[in-house]
Amino acid sequence: MSAALKLDRQPSQPQPWVDPRIAKCETWIVSVIDPEIAGQLAADLPREDFVRILRTFEADLGRLAQQLEAAVANGDQEGYRRAGHSLAGAAAAVGATRLERVARIAMDHHNPADPRALSVSVRQEAAAALVELAALADNPPISR
Amino acid sequence: MAAAGARILLVEDTPTQAEVARALLRDLGHEIRLAESGAAALAQALEWRPDAILMDIELPDFSGFEVMRRLRTEGLESAIIVVTAHGSVNHAVEAMREGAVDFIVKPYAKARLTVTLANALEKRALVSELAEVKAQLSRDRFLGFIGGSPAMQAVYRTIESVAASRANVFITGESGTGKELAAEAVHKASPRRQKPFIALNCGAIPRDLLESEIFGHVKGAFTGATDNRLGAARMADGGTLFLDEIGEMPLDMQVKLLRFVQTGSFQPVGGSKAERVDVRLVSATNRDPWVEVEAGRFREDLYYRLYVVPVEMPPLRERGADVLLIARHFLASFAREERKAFRAYAPDAERALTAYPWPGNVRQLQNVIRNIVVLHEGARVEPAMLPPMLLRLGAPRGLEPEAPPPARVGPPRTPESVPRIGPESVAPPTAWIEPAPTPAPAETAPQVFEKLAVVERRYIMTALDHTAQDIPRAAALLGINPSTIYRKLQGWKAEDERG
Repeated sequence: MSAALKLDRQPSQPQPWVDPRIAKCETWIVSVIDPEIAGQLAADLPREDFVRILRTFEADLGRLAQQLEAAVANGDQEGYRRAGHSLAGAAAAVGATRLERVARIAMDHHNPADPRALSVSVRQEAAAALVELAALADNPPISR
Repeated sequence: MAAAGARILLVEDTPTQAEVARALLRDLGHEIRLAESGAAALAQALEWRPDAILMDIELPDFSGFEVMRRLRTEGLESAIIVVTAHGSVNHAVEAMREGAVDFIVKPYAKARLTVTLANALEKRALVSELAEVKAQLSRDRFLGFIGGSPAMQAVYRTIESVAASRANVFITGESGTGKELAAEAVHKASPRRQKPFIALNCGAIPRDLLESEIFGHVKGAFTGATDNRLGAARMADGGTLFLDEIGEMPLDMQVKLLRFVQTGSFQPVGGSKAERVDVRLVSATNRDPWVEVEAGRFREDLYYRLYVVPVEMPPLRERGADVLLIARHFLASFAREERKAFRAYAPDAERALTAYPWPGNVRQLQNVIRNIVVLHEGARVEPAMLPPMLLRLGAPRGLEPEAPPPARVGPPRTPESVPRIGPESVAPPTAWIEPAPTPAPAETAPQVFEKLAVVERRYIMTALDHTAQDIPRAAALLGINPSTIYRKLQGWKAEDERG
C-alpha cells in the first residue's frame, strides 16, 4: 500500500460541531465502508488493480473535496452539487458508503445542511474511508 | 461477434468509477476506451464505432440520455448500457425509451457487469446479423446491378456463393439481361478481383480468328501475323476469362477449349510449346445450352466442364418494380451526361414503362431512356415522350401520345443523321422504329394486342428493311445482339419451311 494511503485512523463518529442533520445521516450506517462492495472489489481484482483504484479514489477525493470547498466559498450552488455528485459516485464505486451519504446531501438542493459543515464532514469521512480501504488492500478477503 | 474482443466505450466523468469499470473488464479481452464528457462520448462513439457503450447519465456537459438521442440520430448501432446510481423504475424506463439495451445500478459487482455486457453484445450481434440478412434480402444494388426483385436477389446470392470458389460459371439469359455484368460481378466478388477480367464475344469474332483471340499466336503463324500476340487466356492469367455467346463457338474450337479447361494449358497458334495459366472461366449464352448439346451444336463433355454453377439471368418482364428502379437510374445518369433537366417520370409514364414486356430487356430500356433524354426537354418524362410501342402495349387507355412537342427545330432526323451519344451507345435515338404500317390517330386507335412473337418478328424485319438487311446495324437499332437476329431468322426459316 502506498504511503499516501497509510493515513492515520480518524474517529469514525461525527464530531459534536457537525450539523446534526449530517450526523443523523451517519448514524444510520455503522461502518465507514460497505464490506459487500469494497470487499468484493478486493476479492474480484488482483491487488495491483485494487490499489490502482484506491490511488485514483484518493486523487479524486483530494480534487473533489477542494472543488466542494471552493464552491462553498464562492456560493456556487451548481458547482457544489456537481462536486457532491462526483464525490458520491467515487465513494459508491469503492463502497465508501458513509462518505457517499454525506456527499449526496450536497447533491440535494432541498437539504438545508450547512455547506461549510458538510465540507468538513466530507474531509473526515474521506480520510476514514481511505484508512479502511488501505487496510482492506493489505488484507483482501479470499476471492470468490 | 465474439463475446471477447469487442470495443467498449466507457462514458464516465468520475475517474474512480472509470477505473473500477476498467479493472472489472480487464480480463474479458475487450478493447476499452474512456470518454469523460458527453461531447467526448459523441466524438469517440462516432469515430470509433464501439460495439457497446457503458453510459453514465450525469455528465459534466449534458446528460447521457442526450448523448443517446444524438447517437441514435446519427444511426449508431452500439449496444448501450446505462449505468446509473439510481435504481428507480423511471430511470430504467427512460433508459430503455432512449434505446438502451439494459441498465446497471452503481456500484456493481464484476459478475453483474460481465453478464450484462455479454448479453448486450450478444443482442447487438443478433441485431447486426438480422440487419445484414434483411439488407441482403432487400438490397437493390449489387456489384453494378440495379434491382431488388426476388429473381435478382437469387442471382446475387448465387454470385456471392460461387465467387470465392474456382468453379466455372455458366450464365444463361435472354439478350440484354446483363450476362456480362453478371460475369463481371462474379469476378469482382472473387479473390481474383485484383487480376484481369477479360471478356471475349465468341459470336462477334470470325471463326478463323477465334483460336488466335483466345490463345494468341506467334509471329508468322498465318498471313498477317506479323508479331507475337497474347490471347485472352494469357491476358486473363490469375483472373477471369469471360466467353460470351459460347454457343456460337465452332465445334473444332470447342475441342481446343475443352483441352484448355481440362489441363489449364494451351498452345498459341503457330507455337510449339504449351503454356499454362490460372484462369477462372465464366461462359454465357442466350440459348438453352442443353438444347444445343442435344442438337449436336455443343459438345457434351465441354458442357459438363463449363456448366458447373449455372446463373440464370431473369428477363426484365419478370423483375417487377426493377423496371422503374433501372429506368430512374438511367434517367438520372443520362440527364447528367446530356446536361438535361430530367429528374422523374410522370405517373402515367411509369405505368407504361412497367406494363411493357421489354423483349430487349435492360439494354432496350437503356436505349429508350437515352432516346427520351436526348430528344426531349423538361424536368419530367411525360407519356407523350415515350415510344409508341410502349403506349400501345403498356399504357392504360387514354395515354396515347397527343402531340409530343418537338425537341428540336429542323427536318426530321434519320437514324444515321443522329449523332451517337456515347461510346457504349450502340443504338441511335430511333431504336423504337415504328414497325407497323401508319398507325391510326392516337385518340381513335384501339388497343391492339398481338402475340409477342408476331410483334417481335415484325420489329426485326422492319429493322432489317430499314438497314438494308444489315444485321449488325439492325441489332444495334433494336438494342439486341446480332446473334439474336441470326437465331431468330433461322428459327423463322425453319418454321416457314414446315409450313
